[in-house]
Amino acid sequence: MAETLKLSMKGIVKRFGGVVALDSVDFELRRGEVMALVGDNGAGKSTLIKTLAGAHMPDEGVMELDGDAVRFTSPQDAWRRGVATIFQELALAGKMTIADNIFLGREITRTVAGIPFLDRRAMHKRSRELLEELDVVVPDIHTWVEYLSGGQRQGVAIARALNIDADVIVMDEPTAALAVAEVRKVLEFIKTLRRQGKSVVLISHNVQDVFEVSDRITVLRRGRRIGLLETEKTTPEEVVGYITGAAETKRRPEAAH
Amino acid sequence: MARFAFKAPSRPFRIGREGLLLAALVVLCTIFASQSEFFLSERNLTTILRNSVDLAVVCAGMTIVIILGGIDVSVGGIVAVSAVLIGRAYQYGMPDWVVIPVGLAAGALLGALNGAIISKTRVPPIVATLGTMYIYIAVLFLVIGGVWISGLPNTLSFLVLGDFMGLPAGVFVIGFIYVFSWLLLRRTPWGQRVVAIGCDEVAARLVGIRVDRTKIQAYALLGLFAGIAAILYVARLRNVEVNIGTNIALEAIAATILGGANIRGGIGSLIGTLMGVLFIKITQNGLVLIGVSSLWETVVIGGLLIVVLILDALETRRVS
Repeated sequence: MAETLKLSMKGIVKRFGGVVALDSVDFELRRGEVMALVGDNGAGKSTLIKTLAGAHMPDEGVMELDGDAVRFTSPQDAWRRGVATIFQELALAGKMTIADNIFLGREITRTVAGIPFLDRRAMHKRSRELLEELDVVVPDIHTWVEYLSGGQRQGVAIARALNIDADVIVMDEPTAALAVAEVRKVLEFIKTLRRQGKSVVLISHNVQDVFEVSDRITVLRRGRRIGLLETEKTTPEEVVGYITGAAETKRRPEAAH
Repeated sequence: MARFAFKAPSRPFRIGREGLLLAALVVLCTIFASQSEFFLSERNLTTILRNSVDLAVVCAGMTIVIILGGIDVSVGGIVAVSAVLIGRAYQYGMPDWVVIPVGLAAGALLGALNGAIISKTRVPPIVATLGTMYIYIAVLFLVIGGVWISGLPNTLSFLVLGDFMGLPAGVFVIGFIYVFSWLLLRRTPWGQRVVAIGCDEVAARLVGIRVDRTKIQAYALLGLFAGIAAILYVARLRNVEVNIGTNIALEAIAATILGGANIRGGIGSLIGTLMGVLFIKITQNGLVLIGVSSLWETVVIGGLLIVVLILDALETRRVS
């Protein structure tokens, strides 16, 4: 393969009782690529993402990160390996400042008399740099996250992922509850991440958003990958066809490779 | 690239709770001073302070637990069990250097037990600590056997009754506990974890915070402070009564909420809590001085508490 694969999942099977949520799904992500993951409700998107994030253990299948076989036992484990999933709930503490949220759970400290004290100055400096890199505009680094707009919160959540040097960033419906201008901003964040060489997985219901930022599109349907499309070589109609199953009868997914 | 300016208030809009409380304290003191010339005397103010020390110490821990999103209604029971163990230890002729660690360890252990039950069983804190309160009170009765322990040594009395550098010693005890608690809460990673759990426990878990451990530690800290309060109580009164600790949990929760802590977690102020303690203790003292039935004390505090909770609820609704 020409491009280096950042991450690949092969033959992933996940069952819940008698229900097969993922039926031997393959998924791949190149370095510096934005991969959209689309599919109808119940297609297996969130199960696949939770498996990738370490929240679910797959029943079968293998996963490789930078060519090494990996197995994530928890979301924290995945974060440590540089795979940061930003769930819809964002995992932000509303009544804490932007900087405190970016460093939550991994604060910079300065030890005085054996006690680790927060080094707020260093945390603020790094937070400003991260927000600057992403072009997130916030009124003040001391603002409580609760008082930020949805787009700004996405920015803070991404900044947190960048802070731990994540190079795979998985975003679960990042634009779902946002106003139009905010959606644009979040899509800009994603393009910025790609420019920085990060790999992004974008889960979205919004085909328009997907076409604006993605390089390739993975389509799931009923727990199987039925399409892997180059964004430039496909059309929204075709993608919707795959999502709804209308395309299935016309041609096989292999044709998209 | 286009820059989008988001509009958001840079700071949560609040008419500083501490400021409001300070104003309320001034009004309260003015009323009492105008009705009783004894109220503002040095001796009376010292008395108020001495009576406030044990509650203030417990309240520092309660503030941290409430910020964590928890609550502990069993602190009175912890104070009681610690005090009765301290009393018994003195009766067996133990020296201070044995008695003090016994009191502190008892408090911390009972607090940790509360934390362990709450974090491991997921029983709501108010119910879990209601249960342990009954158990702790039962322990008190089992040990004390319905008879006061009295005539205890006065070797530690200077902590509450003494003077140091021209000020009552209690000022320094309170100062030490509050500076310690503030540093812990606002200047260490541990404090960040407490606030994060109080804001959103699921989020805290997602970023890798060990929620259960932090909870147990916070409740143990409150227990430790209750142990200190027990030592101060014994030092001040030199006896252990059967009804020790009866009011302390409710007063501590009231003072903490009055001081600006949000019962839903995430928010709280140690300075505000300290003012809440003073408010309660000054009300108790002043009403007695001006000859009003002490029944009214509970009405004043209860009424104010309801006003504060309504203000909080309105604030929450406005934000969301």
